[in-house]
Amino acid sequence: MIHVLNPGLQTTVQDQGRIGYYEIGMPPSGAMDKYSYTIANLLVGNDENAAALEITYMGPTLEFRENTVIAVTGGEIPPKINGKPIPMWETVSVASGDQLSFDFVKQGARVYLAVAGGVDVPAIMESRSTYTLCGIGGFEGRALQQGDELRVGPVARESVRVGTRVPDALIPQFAKSHEIRVVIGLCSYRLTAESKQSFLSQEWTVTPEANRVGYRFKGERLGFVPREQPFGAGSNPSNVVDLGYPIGSIQVPDGVEPIALLNDAVTGGGYATIATVISADLNRMAQIKSNEKVRFVSVTLEEALQARSEVKDRIAHIKQAIAENGR
Amino acid sequence: MIRYEYGGDEFVFVELAEEMSLEANFRGMAITRKLRERQLPGILDICPSNASYMIRVDPDQLHPDALIAELKNLEESVSLDDFEISARLVDVPVLFEDPWTHEALMRFRERHQDPNSTDLEYAARINGFKSKGELIEAITGFPYLVSMVGFVPGLPWCYQMVPREQQIEVPKYVRPRTFTPERAFGFGGAFAVIYPVQGAGGYQLFGIAAAPIYDREQRLPDFKDAITFPKQGDIFRYRGITMDEYESIRKQVEDGTFRYLTKEITFTPDEVTENPQRFSENVLGRLYE
Amino acid sequence: MSENKSIISPVPGIFYRKPSPDKEVFVNEGDSVKAGDVIGLIEVMKNFYEIKAEADGIVERFCVENEDIVDAGQEVAVMK
Repeated sequence: MIHVLNPGLQTTVQDQGRIGYYEIGMPPSGAMDKYSYTIANLLVGNDENAAALEITYMGPTLEFRENTVIAVTGGEIPPKINGKPIPMWETVSVASGDQLSFDFVKQGARVYLAVAGGVDVPAIMESRSTYTLCGIGGFEGRALQQGDELRVGPVARESVRVGTRVPDALIPQFAKSHEIRVVIGLCSYRLTAESKQSFLSQEWTVTPEANRVGYRFKGERLGFVPREQPFGAGSNPSNVVDLGYPIGSIQVPDGVEPIALLNDAVTGGGYATIATVISADLNRMAQIKSNEKVRFVSVTLEEALQARSEVKDRIAHIKQAIAENGR
Repeated sequence: MIRYEYGGDEFVFVELAEEMSLEANFRGMAITRKLRERQLPGILDICPSNASYMIRVDPDQLHPDALIAELKNLEESVSLDDFEISARLVDVPVLFEDPWTHEALMRFRERHQDPNSTDLEYAARINGFKSKGELIEAITGFPYLVSMVGFVPGLPWCYQMVPREQQIEVPKYVRPRTFTPERAFGFGGAFAVIYPVQGAGGYQLFGIAAAPIYDREQRLPDFKDAITFPKQGDIFRYRGITMDEYESIRKQVEDGTFRYLTKEITFTPDEVTENPQRFSENVLGRLYE
Repeated sequence: MSENKSIISPVPGIFYRKPSPDKEVFVNEGDSVKAGDVIGLIEVMKNFYEIKAEADGIVERFCVENEDIVDAGQEVAVMK
C-alpha cells in the first residue's frame, strides 16, 4: 500500500495506454514519455505495461506501507526518501514507513515512479491509464488526492538487484529549447507557402496551456490559402470538414497559436492539421515545460521510422543489461 | 482527388473529398469495412470519419507505405453499387429551447456572432427560415446519418439525409465556450451533434437530448456492451418533445429502465441519394410503425 | 530575524497576485503574513496552484508582476 500525503500538482496512474478505442472517440491516454515510463518498469522487474505514476512539474509526498522496490525516471525532479536524496534511473529499495518526496523540478517536466508489482487499479477497457476528462481508468478516474491509498500488485517476476542503474549514455537530458521532429502532411496544403516555411523556421514558445490534452504554442500568425470553403467545413479558413486527429498532430485554429494534440486529446474535429510529431519525439514533448522554446524540424517518414527504431534499440539494450547484471 | 497522407509514423490519413457529402461518407464506410475484414496485423485503430478516414498502425508490423498500397487497392475494388448498410434507426428525443442550454448560451453571448439573438434565432435567420419553429421543423422533419463518432467518447456527428440545397449550415461560435451542458444538442457546419459529457464546445446550442449517449457506469440496457451508444452508419431521428416528456424520460433514465426506440434497417447508398425525400418517409414510417 | 527568504514557484505558469481579476490582491508589499497564507496563484495546465508563505513574516517585495510568466524554480517574492 502507498499512502498519498500530498498529491503534487497532477499525479496520475498511467500505463502504455488504452489502445483500440479511437473509433468511438476515446483517446489512448497512457504515459506521455513512454521511454522513461518503460525503463522505470524494467528497473523494478515489472511487465512493460504495468501501471506507474506519472508526476508533472511538482512531485507528491508518498508514504510506503510495505517494503518494496521502486525506480524514478524521466525529467529531473529530484526524489528523496525521508529527506535524503536518492538516485533516479536506478533500482532503489524502500522500507515500510519511508516517505518519498521531491525537490523542485530541475529539468524536464514529468517523472515516472514505478513500484515492483505495479500500481493495482482496475483495468478499464484493457488499460489502467487515467483519462481525467471523462473520469475513466486510473485511480477513480482522476488525479491523486491527499489521503488516497494505492494498492500495489503482486510481484510476479524475478526481482531486479537494488542499485541496478541505467548507463548514463541512455539517460536523456532536457534543455530549455527543443527541436521536435514532425512529418509535414495531413491538411498542410491549406497553409500558404510562406506560412509553411514560417511554421518550421520560427521559434515557438510553449504557453501555460500545456498538459496531457495538448500543448499550445505562441508565435507569429500563420495564414491559410484563400478559398471558398467546401460544403460542411465551416466558415473559418482554418476549418475543414470534421476529420480524425492523429496523436501528435498539430492544428492552428484561425492561424493563431498552433496546438499539438497529445495522449488525452480530442480524437477529431474541424481544424486543418498540418503536421504530426513523430512517435520518438512525443517522449521528448512530454518533458517540455511552459515558457520553453520549440522549433519544429521537418523529417521524412523513413527518418521518423529510423528514430523510432533507435528508441526501441535503447530500450532493448537496457533490458538486456538488466537481464545480465541486474538479477 | 483522394489524398493519402502520413500522420507521423503511426497514422495514415485518407481524405476522400474536401467537401461533405453522403457519397464520400458511404465510400469511407465501405473501404474501412473491407479493411476491417482483412484483419491485417499491425492495425491498431480504424477510424472512419465524415469525408475521410484514419488508420493507426504499428509501423514495426506494417509499414505505412504498405498500408497505403493496400488502401489504394481497396479503393479500386470497392463499389457503392453492391454496398449495403445494416444500421439502427433510432428515435432521439430532444427538448428544444430548454432552460439549461439557454443558460449556457446566454453566459457566452460575447463569444457569439450575434450577441443579441439566441443561437436558434440566429441560425433560423441565416438559413432563411421565417421563425425558430420552422427551423426546428426542418431539423426534426428528416433523419440524420451518424457520419462520424469522436471528439470525446460517443459524440455523434450527424449529417441530415436531404439534398444539398435543403441542408442547414451554421458557423461555429467566434470563440468556443468553456462550458456546454451534458447532452446539449448542437449544430456546427452541416452537422448536428449531442455532447456526451459537459465540457468546452463551439457549436450553436439549440436544445438538450433527454437520454444519454454516454454511460460510463453502463447502467442502462442500451449500454450493456459499450459505454457509448452512437455508431457510424446509425440513422438518428431527432424528435422535438415537451418538458413533460423530457421529465418522464429523465425519470426512466434515473430508474435505469430507459431504452431508445430503435428499428433495424438495411439500405443502399443509392436509395438515399436518388430520392432522399422518399427514403426519409420510409425511414420514419418504419421507425414508428 | 532579518534574514531574507525567497518564495519560489515550484511550477511554471502565469503568476497572479489576485484571486480573480475583480478582487483585491492577496497581500501587499510590507504586509505581515502567517505560514500557509496564500500570497499568489500560478496558472498552469488550466489549474491554479497556490503560492503560500512558508513561515510567518513580512512580504518585503514581489520579484514578478501580476500576470508575468514565471519558470519553475523562479523567485516570486522575498520575505523578511
